[in-house]
Amino acid sequence: MQLQVPGPWSPLLGRLTLNAIPYENPILQVTFAVVALIGLVIVGLVLYHKKVGYLWREWLTTVDHKKIGVMYIIIGLVMLFRGFADGLLIRTQQVLANGPHAAGMLGAKHGFLPPFHFDQVYSAHGTIMILFAATPILTGFQNIVVPLQIGARDMAFPYMNAVSLWLTTAAAVLVMISLFVGDFSQAGWVGLIPLTELPYSPGVGVDYWMWAIQISSVGTTLNAINMIVTIVDMRAPGMSWFRMPVFSWTTLSTNIIGLTAFPVLGVALALLGADRYLGTHFFTAGMGGNLMLYTNLFWIWGHPEVYFLILPTFGVISEVIPAFSEKPIFGYVTMVAATFAIAGISWLVWLHHFFTMGAGPDINGFFSVATMLVGIPTGVKVFNWMFTLYRGRITYSVPMLWAMFGLFLLLVGGLTGMMLAIPAINYTVHDSVFVIAHFHCMVLMVVCAGFAGVTYWFPKLFGFKLDEGWGKAFFWTFAIGTVTVFSAMFALGFEGETRRLDWTFNTAWKPMLVVEEVGMVLYVISLVFFATMLVVSIRNRHKQRLAADPWGTSRTLEWLTPTPVPFYNYAVTPQVNTRDELAWRRKYGLENTKPDVYEDIHMPRNSGLPVILGALAGVWGFAMIWRIWWLAAISLVGIVLVVIIRSFDKNAGYHLQPAEVEAMERDLAIGAIMAEQSDRAHHHTHAEAH
Amino acid sequence: MAGSHSDPLAHPEVRQGSAMRYIAGFVSTVVLMGAALIVTMRHDLPYQSFVELVGGLAALALFSQATLFYGLDISRAQIWKGVSLILTLPLFIITVGLTVWMFQSLNQRTMVMPTSAAAASQPTLLQ
Amino acid sequence: MANETAPTANTQLFRPGYHGHNQISARTLGFWLYMLSDALLFTALFASYAVLDTPMNAAGGPVASQIVNPIEGFWQTIAVLGSVTCYSLATVAMKNGKRGGTAVGIIAAIVLALVFLAFGVNDLATLAAHGDGMDRSGYLSAYFVLILTHAIHMGVGILWMLVMLVQIPLFGFNDMVVARMLNLRMFWQFQATIWVCLYVYVYMIGA
Repeated sequence: MQLQVPGPWSPLLGRLTLNAIPYENPILQVTFAVVALIGLVIVGLVLYHKKVGYLWREWLTTVDHKKIGVMYIIIGLVMLFRGFADGLLIRTQQVLANGPHAAGMLGAKHGFLPPFHFDQVYSAHGTIMILFAATPILTGFQNIVVPLQIGARDMAFPYMNAVSLWLTTAAAVLVMISLFVGDFSQAGWVGLIPLTELPYSPGVGVDYWMWAIQISSVGTTLNAINMIVTIVDMRAPGMSWFRMPVFSWTTLSTNIIGLTAFPVLGVALALLGADRYLGTHFFTAGMGGNLMLYTNLFWIWGHPEVYFLILPTFGVISEVIPAFSEKPIFGYVTMVAATFAIAGISWLVWLHHFFTMGAGPDINGFFSVATMLVGIPTGVKVFNWMFTLYRGRITYSVPMLWAMFGLFLLLVGGLTGMMLAIPAINYTVHDSVFVIAHFHCMVLMVVCAGFAGVTYWFPKLFGFKLDEGWGKAFFWTFAIGTVTVFSAMFALGFEGETRRLDWTFNTAWKPMLVVEEVGMVLYVISLVFFATMLVVSIRNRHKQRLAADPWGTSRTLEWLTPTPVPFYNYAVTPQVNTRDELAWRRKYGLENTKPDVYEDIHMPRNSGLPVILGALAGVWGFAMIWRIWWLAAISLVGIVLVVIIRSFDKNAGYHLQPAEVEAMERDLAIGAIMAEQSDRAHHHTHAEAH
Repeated sequence: MAGSHSDPLAHPEVRQGSAMRYIAGFVSTVVLMGAALIVTMRHDLPYQSFVELVGGLAALALFSQATLFYGLDISRAQIWKGVSLILTLPLFIITVGLTVWMFQSLNQRTMVMPTSAAAASQPTLLQ
Repeated sequence: MANETAPTANTQLFRPGYHGHNQISARTLGFWLYMLSDALLFTALFASYAVLDTPMNAAGGPVASQIVNPIEGFWQTIAVLGSVTCYSLATVAMKNGKRGGTAVGIIAAIVLALVFLAFGVNDLATLAAHGDGMDRSGYLSAYFVLILTHAIHMGVGILWMLVMLVQIPLFGFNDMVVARMLNLRMFWQFQATIWVCLYVYVYMIGA
């Protein structure tokens, strides 16, 4: 059964023709040139330094949770940059295309982006920032930190962890391919229905959006299972539930959301896919479809997803603030309770995204009250953080600055959120940029926690700190840029600017649009500082020799391992005696105590299958998007075969001998996650088959 | 890893399997579904009570499956399954329940129901 | 921290020889969590079915009472429950270390599952042949997709059973095979659970 799609279709290439490549668009020409140049430089460097083998053995095939976490964060940062570029285009278009006399260029009537292109840009911006930037960065932290924090050697399912990573990567690659082959969705990141239906979006844009999200959400679900089992089953001896660090608690709650909410998104998109590919009528405008059903399903996932992002953010802040206040977290138990209260309530509020549907006062009232309830546990958290700061010995290092700014954004975003929870106000500002400014405060809090986490945990993994001076320059330009852009945007919301405008018709908006653009310039400068920070820190890396706890005031278990963390995490599993184990050991002078005896360590072996699975999933997605049925069938069969082949693998790991472990503990460099391990592991270990 | 060196067949998950329990699970579900089928075929209850009765029988069948098939209990080997199920149950109810409530109200307020068709056909949950 | 105590001579800082988690337990818990996730997938489908189950969404096509057959559904119920029971009994044979008994149970489960699928596919094919396929109306879309999703799950289970039929003689009851057998038991029982919900909601309440 093949649905009629407009345009040519051939059995060999599906809908793919040479016209799909937008080679005549000057913006994309420049983008392509830059991307190709960066790609060539990276490939050239890898080849020049003869690192192909290292890359394959140590990174692409790895099952080490720390390396997987690092790769998640790299993907997240790359996509964050792409999403930021989209944001810059949106802001610049809106300020240039202001008023009826605004000049046009590059084929646009006003500004430089025609509506066709502008709509893709804002759809890509939202999709990328939420699903391919924030989610991977946070997942990366959870991967890196949680096993260390609970005293485990790895995740419960190291192989599946790699599969999750490569599925996410495949989806991110699909989004990037849409830049140069075909186009992206023009229906917003939420998929405005029925605009996403085949008659109104006959191109491949919606298909790119749909399949990319679908593939990455499978990865997220698998990762959620992995995290929950790791936390439930693999805590070190002595780590009872109420000795577990807050970040691990938030990871647990956020992954419960991930596990339960993502299937609903999967259904929403699959039913849309059925409409587009099989001709069903779930969300069509006629023939008995119900388009609000899509909106309903999307937000059943969508709202828990917001908390899926914000809870680990709270976790990062709950680690950073005590470490730099030199006090235990205030109200630990209420912190945990508040985390789970937020996760629970997140399932009861989704209708507030479409109050204007007209479901009636009872229903709007119910969801309004439920939404306001979220303010209570969130308030508990904010006060707990404030009481942690109160009379603490505060150090304003870079992670602490990010955490503080995150609190500020939480306050602004939270209070405007409370306003939006009132249906009467919501009807007035619905789909205005006031809403945009509100949720950008929240997601920028996620970004703040992201950078707080990067600076805080970076030395643990790599053995050197990020440069403090450039880090502060980065922070201040970023923070001032944020305030500039979004205070202006709140004002524009009150002035009645609606969202997603490719032409800002009202000239009275001009001053605030200019202010927003000034903020964007600050963001660009902050990016330069970020890059400088990385370069300077990497250049000066040998000037530091860091102790296990480079900050000197950290409190939780992950800082007990040597810096940089050896690939086996703990030479001997630690016994946990109290809640802030490291702070306790430091207080009694035990933090440098080493184990008396070393034992052999069983390690899982690397596997190339996850990368292959990811690649097959990417090819499958591409084939489905372009309706190349033979390729889709082959890659699907390939995926099933790889899964079956893996099940016939005897999964033999290998054992590190005690003497080796002792040697690596003495000379940390050879056990570090950046070092080459496979040769040694290959020659000196004994494969174990069981 | 501890499990790899002990006998996998000694694992509590394996030991909990029991022929009697599985057969009891089969019989109880079939009997309950049979009872529901009889109620359905008689067509003599008002819609509301019919839905409640059949729904109740289904709930009993699901409960018997949880205990007899899955063997959920509060033993150490099973506790996390039970806990996670109990934490997830409200989500099933919320998702279906709030959606039905929402669309019931929405349809009443915004949709012109074809009265003749509605009167002629069977009631559904949304009406 | 109020509960903080000073270390004593007996305080342990490390636990050499600590073996951590058990593979089979971790795998069965992980799979159970996957099934909860899958259950939410079905929940979303049931919610969609509920919304689209109105005469308005039938768009002039058939409504539930015109296409479902509760008596035939009862035979399907017996087939799927029989299949689940056969497979569960196969794991009891595994508990007793009997490879032959396990294989017989699995084969019986596959046969009954195929019977179940034959009923379902025949139903849908007949409807589609009369022009009441999934592209007829919003209601029929929901009906087809709900039943097909369950059927696809059954198909995956059958494939999994075939793999197990190869692995049991090849590897014997080792850690991995046992964990897979246990997970498949949960997966298969879960199909019966979903069918009960589907049967009662679609076939009975709809009748």
